[in-house]
Parts: sequence; structure tokens; C-alpha cells
Amino acid sequence: MTKEAEHAIEVEKLTKRYGDLLAVDDLSFNVRKGEVFAMLGPNGAGKTTTVEIIDTIRTPTSGKVSLLGMDVTKKKHDIVPRIGVLPQGFSSFDRITVRETIQYYSRLFCCKNTDVDGLIELVDLKDKTQEQYKNLSGGLKQRLGIAIALVNDPEVVFLDEPTTGLDPRARREVWKVLLDLKKKGKTVFLTTHYMEEAEFLADTVAIISKGKIIAMGSPEVLIESNANYLVLTLKPVDEKVFEIVGKMGFVPVHDNHRDIKVRVEHMDDVAKILNTIKDAGASLISLDVRKPNLEEVFLKLTGEALHKDPTGEVAE
Amino acid sequence: MNPRVVGANLVVSLKSFYRAKPAMFFTMAFPIILILVFGALFMNQDNMNFDLCVQDLDHTDASAQLVKTLELDGKFKVIKIDPAINAAQYTKDNKPNLVLTIPKGYEESFLQRMTLNDPGASVTLAYLYDPSSSLVSMKMQILNSVFDRINQKMSGKPPFIRSAETSILAKKYRFIEFFVPGIIAMSVMVLSLFGTVNLNTELRQKGVIRKLSTTPITRTDWILSNILYQFIIAVLSTTAMLLVSYAVFSVSLQINAWLPVFIVLDVFAFVGIGMILTRFTKEAESAAAAANAISFPMMFLSGGFFPLEMMPGFMQTVARILPLYYVNEGLRASMLFDDHMTALRYSAIIGVFAAVVFILGIIATKWEEDQ
Repeated sequence: MTKEAEHAIEVEKLTKRYGDLLAVDDLSFNVRKGEVFAMLGPNGAGKTTTVEIIDTIRTPTSGKVSLLGMDVTKKKHDIVPRIGVLPQGFSSFDRITVRETIQYYSRLFCCKNTDVDGLIELVDLKDKTQEQYKNLSGGLKQRLGIAIALVNDPEVVFLDEPTTGLDPRARREVWKVLLDLKKKGKTVFLTTHYMEEAEFLADTVAIISKGKIIAMGSPEVLIESNANYLVLTLKPVDEKVFEIVGKMGFVPVHDNHRDIKVRVEHMDDVAKILNTIKDAGASLISLDVRKPNLEEVFLKLTGEALHKDPTGEVAE
Repeated sequence: MNPRVVGANLVVSLKSFYRAKPAMFFTMAFPIILILVFGALFMNQDNMNFDLCVQDLDHTDASAQLVKTLELDGKFKVIKIDPAINAAQYTKDNKPNLVLTIPKGYEESFLQRMTLNDPGASVTLAYLYDPSSSLVSMKMQILNSVFDRINQKMSGKPPFIRSAETSILAKKYRFIEFFVPGIIAMSVMVLSLFGTVNLNTELRQKGVIRKLSTTPITRTDWILSNILYQFIIAVLSTTAMLLVSYAVFSVSLQINAWLPVFIVLDVFAFVGIGMILTRFTKEAESAAAAANAISFPMMFLSGGFFPLEMMPGFMQTVARILPLYYVNEGLRASMLFDDHMTALRYSAIIGVFAAVVFILGIIATKWEEDQ
């Protein structure tokens, strides 16, 4: 298979400057056809600028971006009918209903056979077809945005932070729609600052920080190669557990809930810690052993937290 | 240009307008309210009369006859002030803008002049007035002309200079008939300018334009659908204004092909200006402020409400470089004076202006985000 046939997107030495600000710094990567590619990074990392250059909203300062084998700066007219875009902070006409909005965008693409009902069903808006846009909740608006991004049955779908600002339930609803897209074999370019979103949906994750890609690969490979350890979480009955674990040569830390977190290399270490606690006569309310996630990978690679919750604390 | 895309956009704009009921109401109601208010204000302009406070200190048959003459002139409704009251105190208490005082000895002097033919016999009527009132000078002018007539009659000689009036118009027009074309021009300007600025800045701020830039709709499709939308709204508004003017004030205005021509040119010119403003103002608030800064001087200086000759000379020069002036005068030429040559000349001037700003507007409009 040739490179063009294999890759939906090819980015080579992409740079974008806004005056003195270097928003995107010499990025190079490819997105395979049919994969879900997630660009993961904190706010201001350069995700939106990158995706908006690829989907033809912005122009690059330098570098080459090829989408479906076409140069994005020269072939916008040919590219646009073959892609679907949910821009960041998507919005539509306030007083137009869900059905009318989908029909409107379908007409813009001159699609005669758009399955409006099918799209409404896909994003689960059957009960809201006659509802005006302004009356929809944030999650429903995003789902409508995804439906609009699909009116032209695009080959590549760009979703720029599709779940930002949504509550966990609404976020899961959007994920369900994205999984359906994945099943349909669409190439999906997703940007997010939610590591669990990237981990759950993406085949390939590119971690971006300060305009540069600092790691790229499947979530499993990224975790395996950057965070090859286990995280043991202990909810103790008394404080001496912290001391016991420390004396064993491990480095325990308290999290926000006063639980004790210990990084261990093997499952044997977990058994050893539990036995020592038991022998010392201390007891636990609960324990949890899990592999590290992309949050920890990001923390390790950049020394910064990927995502902060509204209180400013690092989210779990 | 893709008619299907233009049509889709037009339908969305019209549905949005129809469903925003308060906005729709005020869009239609504002010019109608203006017509009703100004029409009612100037309905009896030809028979307008003023209050006139008169203090008759002479209190004789001759002075009573003078007061009656003032009343019979039809321009004044006389309010008599008790001669015992101090006129200065009266003005402080009741705030009339002019008090005319007939002095004691008026009849005596009058008889001396009429019967003894004594040229030295004269009388001075006192005006006590408020110089801050704009009506005072008009009242004094009328009073002076009444007194001139009396003086002339008393001289016993016929006037030397007389005047003969012949109107160059087939019929005399009323103020409301002068006013309605101006309001049509102004309303179409406001609708087109603010409609374009509000729609585009709002959609840009909300990110709708960014989404549209990822669809096949082109700048030309977008602008053309905007023009069509503004034209439809302008036609609806103009129709409503004309219906009210005919029904309430029985105006005599001609509706001919020039009306849609001037509406189209008005729409193009001000949608063009709106597009240029949208390009250079980021937020909806600053765009609306810029639109106000353009439309307000235009409203009052371009002769929409009042004839240009009422303005100082330099302002008349300013008015003649304003595009709305040519729409106003062009509409009046066609609707009021049946003057097709003037309408043609003014349509050509506003047409050239509209073409230039519209092309600049197209160049100024852009889909892509900041480069």
C-alpha cells in the first residue's frame, strides 16, 4: 500500500506563529485511514491550531499538510466536501430546529441523499427533532454538532474537544456516538484534554505540549514504555500504615482524600506490602491496584499535570 | 454561486427573523411609530396656532379691537392676563415664552392719529420674552407682520409692493408626504446596516462562521443570501410604512419602478458598509457602536427628516456627500415630484457608491480565522 493510500493525513514540519507566539512548533505526524487519532494536551498546547490548519480553517506559517492526498492550503475547495468538522465551541443558529439545522447543512453540501433521520438516530436526538438549537443542553448541542459533521458522509471527521464542558453523563453519550463512527470505519481526528477520552477512544494518541509532540503511539504502548509500574492505593484504618510502607523502602504519598498511593514495580511488591501491614497488626478499609494512565505518562514526560479540575487540583 | 446554497441560507435567515417575534415586531414597528408621531405632529402644520399671552393695560374698545384682530388672524390663541398682575412676575410663575403688553393710553394715541392726523402720536407694544424658547422669534415675526398690516392700513395708501405666488409643482405637498420617503430611506439603511453588522458579528463571535467555513458555502453565496434577506425585510418594512401612511394620513405618493430600484441600491450600499465594519470590529458591541456612529449623523444630516435648506451652508455641503441624501432625494423625486430625470441622476450616483462599497465589503469579508 502506498503512503498516500495508507494515510488520511500527513503533516510535515508544521509551524504556526501568531506574532511572537509560537503556537505549533515543527510538528510531523501521520494519521492512518480508518483510525481514531487523538491529540492530547492541556489548554494552549496547540491542539486547536493544529486541527484547524488541517481542516482548512487556518493557514500554516510553514510546513506541509496533506489531507486525503491534497495540500490543505491549495485544495480547500476539493477537500471540504470530503471532511466533516466539529469546531471547538461549536454553535449554530439559535432559532432553527434540530431537523432544520441538519437539513440546512445538508443543503450546503448539496447532498441529495442525506439520511437525516439516520443521523438523528445516530446521535440519539429523536425526541428533540423539533427543538430549537437555543433550547438544547450542552451535550445535545455537541451531539447535533457531530450529526452536522456527518451530513456529507465524510471520509475524515475532525472533532475539536467534543466533550469539553459536558458533564460525565453527556460525555459518555458523545463517546458512544464516536464509537459508532469508529465502527463505521471513519477516520477520526480528535483533540481532547481528557486522558480517559483519548485512552478509551483512540487507536493512536499524540501527546502535545507547548506546540510540540512529545510522545505518540497507541495508549497501551505509551503507558508501557513511559510508565512501567503499578499504582497501589490503600485506604487505611490508622496512620501507621503510611509509616510501615515507608520503612519498607517504598515512597508513599497521600492523595487528596488522604489515601496512600505507592508506586510498585511488580505484583510481588503488592503482596509483600499487604503482608507487612497485616503482620504489623494494622488494617485497611480498601485497596486498589491499577496500571498507570496517560495522565501519569504526561506528568512523567512534561513534569506538569495534564488536566486540572476546577479547584485547581490534579484530577484522578 | 450556488442557488441551492443561497436559498438554504435565505430560508434559515427568514425563519430566524420570523421566530424572533419581539425583534420582528420592533423592526416593523419602529419606522411606523416614527411616521405616526411625526405625521400627527405636523398634520395641521398649515393651520398651526400658538398661545399668546396679552396684558391689556388700556382696557378700552380700541385695545380690545387689537386683541380681537390678533385672534382673528388665526395664528394665535390669546390668553388674557389680568392688568392688575405684574407681567414680569406672571412670566416667572407661569413660564409663558412671550407676553405682549398693550400700554395704557393706547386708545388715546390711536384716536389722536386717526382723527387729528397727528404723525407724532404713536404707541409702543412691549414684548416680554424668554430668549431660550425657539418659538419666540416665530411668534414675534407673525406679530410684527400683523402690526405692519395695521400700520399700512392706517396710512390710508395701498401697498406699493405686492407679491404673486405660483407653485412650480402641480400640487402642494404636505410635510408627511415629504417625510415618508425620507423614513423609507432611513429605515432601509438602518435595517441593512444593523442587520448585516449584528448578524455577522454575532455569528462570528458564536463560532457559526468558523463552522460554515468548513462547508462548501462561499463568500459570494453568503453575501448574496444576506442581500436577498435584507431586501425582503426592507420590502416588508416599506410596504408596512406605505400602508400606514396611506391609511392614516391619506398621503398622495406615487409608487413606481423607482421605489424598488432605490430600495435595492440602499440595501446594497449599507450591507456593503456593514460588511466592511464587521471586518474591522471584533465584538458585536463595538460593531454596533460603529454602525451607530455612521447611521446617526446620516439620519439627521441627509435631509431625511427636514429639508436641507434649513441647515447651515457647510452642513448642506456635508449632506451632499452622504449616500443617504441621494436615496432620500431620489425617492422624493420619484414619489413626490414625478421627476424621473432627477431620480435617474440620483440613482446613478447611489448606484456607483453602492457598487464600490459592496465590492470593498466582499473583499473585506473573510471566512478563514486570523492568519
